[in-house]
Amino acid sequence: MREKRKGEKQRKKENNTEKIFFEMDDNTRKIKFIFDLDGTVTSEETLPLIAKQFKVEQEIEKLTQETVQGNIPFVESFIRRVFILGKLPVNEVADLLETTKLYPKLVDFIQKHAGNCAIATGNLECWSHKLLKKIGCESYCSDAVVENNHVVKLTKILRKEQVVEQYQKEGYTVVFIGDGNNDLEAMRVADIAIAVGMTHNPSKSILPITNYLIFSEEALCRQLNQLL
Amino acid sequence: MSSVKSVVISCAGIGSRLGLGQTKALIKLNGKSLIAWQLELFKDVEDIRIVIGYQANDIIKEVLKYRKDVVFVYNHRYFETKTGASFFLGAQHGSEYVLEWDGDLLVHPDDVKKILDTEGEFICYADKSSDEAVFVQTDDEGKVLAFSRETGDYEWTGPACIQRDKVKYSSGNVFNQLEPYLPMKGIKVRAYDIDTYSDYTRVMEITKKWAIK
Repeated sequence: MREKRKGEKQRKKENNTEKIFFEMDDNTRKIKFIFDLDGTVTSEETLPLIAKQFKVEQEIEKLTQETVQGNIPFVESFIRRVFILGKLPVNEVADLLETTKLYPKLVDFIQKHAGNCAIATGNLECWSHKLLKKIGCESYCSDAVVENNHVVKLTKILRKEQVVEQYQKEGYTVVFIGDGNNDLEAMRVADIAIAVGMTHNPSKSILPITNYLIFSEEALCRQLNQLL
Repeated sequence: MSSVKSVVISCAGIGSRLGLGQTKALIKLNGKSLIAWQLELFKDVEDIRIVIGYQANDIIKEVLKYRKDVVFVYNHRYFETKTGASFFLGAQHGSEYVLEWDGDLLVHPDDVKKILDTEGEFICYADKSSDEAVFVQTDDEGKVLAFSRETGDYEWTGPACIQRDKVKYSSGNVFNQLEPYLPMKGIKVRAYDIDTYSDYTRVMEITKKWAIK
């Protein structure tokens, strides 16, 4: 299995092509499903939710538009977003995010197979921890220093592809499930990439590197079960 | 039975021989796209896997008009691969049994039902109707013994049903993937594939009489 994968990686490097003809050795593989959070496991985006509740909609909307249009790169946009939202009381943001609507069948799958699942979200851990606890599997977030219930300093911006690579080094076959531009690199390095369009259409940038494209929760759960 | 079988519909090709300037899944047959016909015939099948490549976005848009719970499987190398690659990609994470179905194939609705209700592995073939076909050689019981470019009792049209794990990557066609497992059970069906413009006009006439229950 290891040799096979090494060969595949080498070939990928040489041809700069996708991993579409990768045959897995079903007897030896350990599988890890890594999910993006916003719009993939949650059926509503968390950012507009926070913006609405704390009345910073205009600022956030302007930033989102500029980012979507490609005028502001993702990392810069994220730093600016944290700067705007960091002023809000952290505990209240965490309480609000705990109420984010989730895809129930998908969460059920994650809970039944918690050992095979992980969440990778660019959101700050201090904002997302209650929601992530509710979902109930391992998770990877961005980090910040919190003082007096406010975010004072961003310390880590999650690079999802590093999470994928970490599991691959441990011998896992990694399936990444996501929908956005910030999932692109993780989906590129994952063994199997599933693009979803359940909450909104998937980002066009991820389609050339995805193996599967799925628009319904039922079909996604069916596919995940077939991959187990 | 349909619930434990994945149907893999291969729609990745360019459809160059047909000459209508679009992938075959989107050509219209009596007011309906070919893929819409397929989806109607498979309305009771749970796991439908549609392999896409050329004009992928247009096919996705068309399919979503009818149902959302399909799995789209990308064959990004549709230009340099054949049906064998698409079938492998569509089958590899499907159910235990996978039913291979070319996107340009129309089968009589009664025969579709029979195919979906048949358990285990099998290969379907039809009466000969085309000069460029691949033929199947059968024994007295209709079992498929061999495929041939030269001669045979019937025309190989598909579909074929086989265990998922037996579908290996092939740079060739689907019948090449089935060859190692012959002899296999055979089922004669009324099946028509649309490769050329004359096939297209012929199938248009035939499907006028079809009623899908």
